[in-house]
Amino acid sequence: MAEAIQKKLKAEVEKYSQMQKDVSKSMSARQKLETQLAENNIVKEELDLLDTTNTVYKLIGPVLVKQDLDEAKATVTKRLEYINGEIQRYETLLKDMEKKSDNHRELLSSLQQEYQRAQGLAVGKV
Amino acid sequence: MAGKGKMNIEHLGAVARLREEHQKVVKDCESRVLHWKKVSGDYEALNDRLKTLPDQLSYDIMVPFGPLAFMPGKLVHTNEVTALLGDNWFAKCSTKQAQKIVDHRMKYVKSELNDLSKTMKNFEARVGLVKDLETISSSKGGYVDIREDTENTDIAVTKGKQRKAHKPNSKPKLDAVLHLKKEVEENEEESRDGGSGKDITTKEELWARLDELEKLEELQDEQDRLSYNADMNGEDTSSFSSEEEKEGDAAPPENGLGQKPSWTSAPHSKAQPSSDREAEDDDEEEEGGGLPTIFFSHTTEPKKVRINTGKNTMLKFSERKEQKDLSKRKNKNGHSNGHSHHELHKISTPADIYRVFVDMKNGEPIPRKSILKSRSRENSVCSESSESSAADFEERRMTGRSLSHDDTTHSDTSDGITEEESPTAVPLHPASRFEAFSGTVVEKDPMPSAVPHLTIAPPALPTILERKQEEVAPDVAPPQQAPKRVSKFKAARLLQK
Repeated sequence: MAEAIQKKLKAEVEKYSQMQKDVSKSMSARQKLETQLAENNIVKEELDLLDTTNTVYKLIGPVLVKQDLDEAKATVTKRLEYINGEIQRYETLLKDMEKKSDNHRELLSSLQQEYQRAQGLAVGKV
Repeated sequence: MAGKGKMNIEHLGAVARLREEHQKVVKDCESRVLHWKKVSGDYEALNDRLKTLPDQLSYDIMVPFGPLAFMPGKLVHTNEVTALLGDNWFAKCSTKQAQKIVDHRMKYVKSELNDLSKTMKNFEARVGLVKDLETISSSKGGYVDIREDTENTDIAVTKGKQRKAHKPNSKPKLDAVLHLKKEVEENEEESRDGGSGKDITTKEELWARLDELEKLEELQDEQDRLSYNADMNGEDTSSFSSEEEKEGDAAPPENGLGQKPSWTSAPHSKAQPSSDREAEDDDEEEEGGGLPTIFFSHTTEPKKVRINTGKNTMLKFSERKEQKDLSKRKNKNGHSNGHSHHELHKISTPADIYRVFVDMKNGEPIPRKSILKSRSRENSVCSESSESSAADFEERRMTGRSLSHDDTTHSDTSDGITEEESPTAVPLHPASRFEAFSGTVVEKDPMPSAVPHLTIAPPALPTILERKQEEVAPDVAPPQQAPKRVSKFKAARLLQK
């Protein structure tokens, strides 16, 4: 009986750890997005400051590609929106993950109790 | 104690960990601050470079070829700079524009630095706190935890109730006085035992105690006020006329200001019933109780009681009783001064004292008028002044009353006998006093006979008569038969006619 519970416990623990990892991953992804967002904001501001006289280049690999100022602005804006959307997605994902992990945690704790009781019984028996 | 020790140890461990965490954060903050400082330094250098770069059209420089070689070369297009905007975006711009960009970035860096420094400060403070906590828990330092065991839950309960008790007096004063001793004892007990467990009594005692303390405070305030208000005497007395009750007390206007305790309280007694009652009682006590009292040196001569009353320092004995006896006679002399003396000597109430203060004039003792009363109108024609007329009215009343009262003992009961005498006495009396008075004497009861019955006044005090002729006339004028009340103003007016 105790062993069965033990096994169960182990499985649950693994699941829980997996979940935790997922959570952390999504968290980091979200953070990255956040930084990108900040950066793109700055770029947008800078581009607004510029006038048509200067040329804008985009670095693609080792190549600097000339870009039109307006084009660049549009691109940057689009990117910004994309990033925002991504962040939202990740947020919802993160919330779900958190809930799941909490539930799992509770399950784990209950299992642990059971296991301990079983252990106690086993000890008693023995 | 074992439990406590255990807790301490656990506490210690937790606190230590907390401190470590805090320190970690602080370190992290420090590193970030360093980083940002470096960045800002770099930007500063860049700024300088951008400033100086366009000075020359071209520069001769050693161009790095790979990691180990250099080649002499020239730096051209000094004003053109390709600046990274972020996220793999570049922009070709002039140095000035580049400088603007740099400025922007500098601003951002500065703000970051500020935030970091703030957080660092916060955490440093926290670290300090945690350190202290550590020392406390380890009980190494000189810190002592102050604990106060509250054993008696009733006190906590009554606290709320006590708040309610703070409302205006709910209990009569007497209760406070009675409970005083009891309260004190009980409170002492309580404090000693730390809660004796008498649930009900403690609560009630506390309430009662609270009320009684309140009242004591009020008493104190009133007494202070009374002594304070010594100067307010005259003003108070001027309002006497409207108060029937202030018969004897109104007279006191003359009361020596020097004699604060008893005298001043008396006139105010009616104005402030409760406290004054006490004051009066006090006076009486002082009078008869042998407490510090004012001693009169009674001599056979027209008595001189030295009282500091400002203008007149000599106050003489009143010969009220005499007056009463002589009420029927026109010319009374101070016959048997000594006799009246004796009677007057007997002072059992504060009011009696006032009878002592009497002016001597023309052989006729006249109660002294309050020095606070304005004397400006002494010889004026006007008699409408409320003050004087009021005072006079008051005096008249008092005269009548005194007459009535004097007849009997110093009881408060009115007397019918003297009532009849009073009307006659009053008009005659003033008439005799002022020889100059040439007006007709109209007999009128200066004071409604019903009034003295109503009043609870102590034996009438000698009225302070500093008569003006006009005022005296009104005195006499009013019909004696009319027991109905005549306002002082009306009376004055009538008499003036």
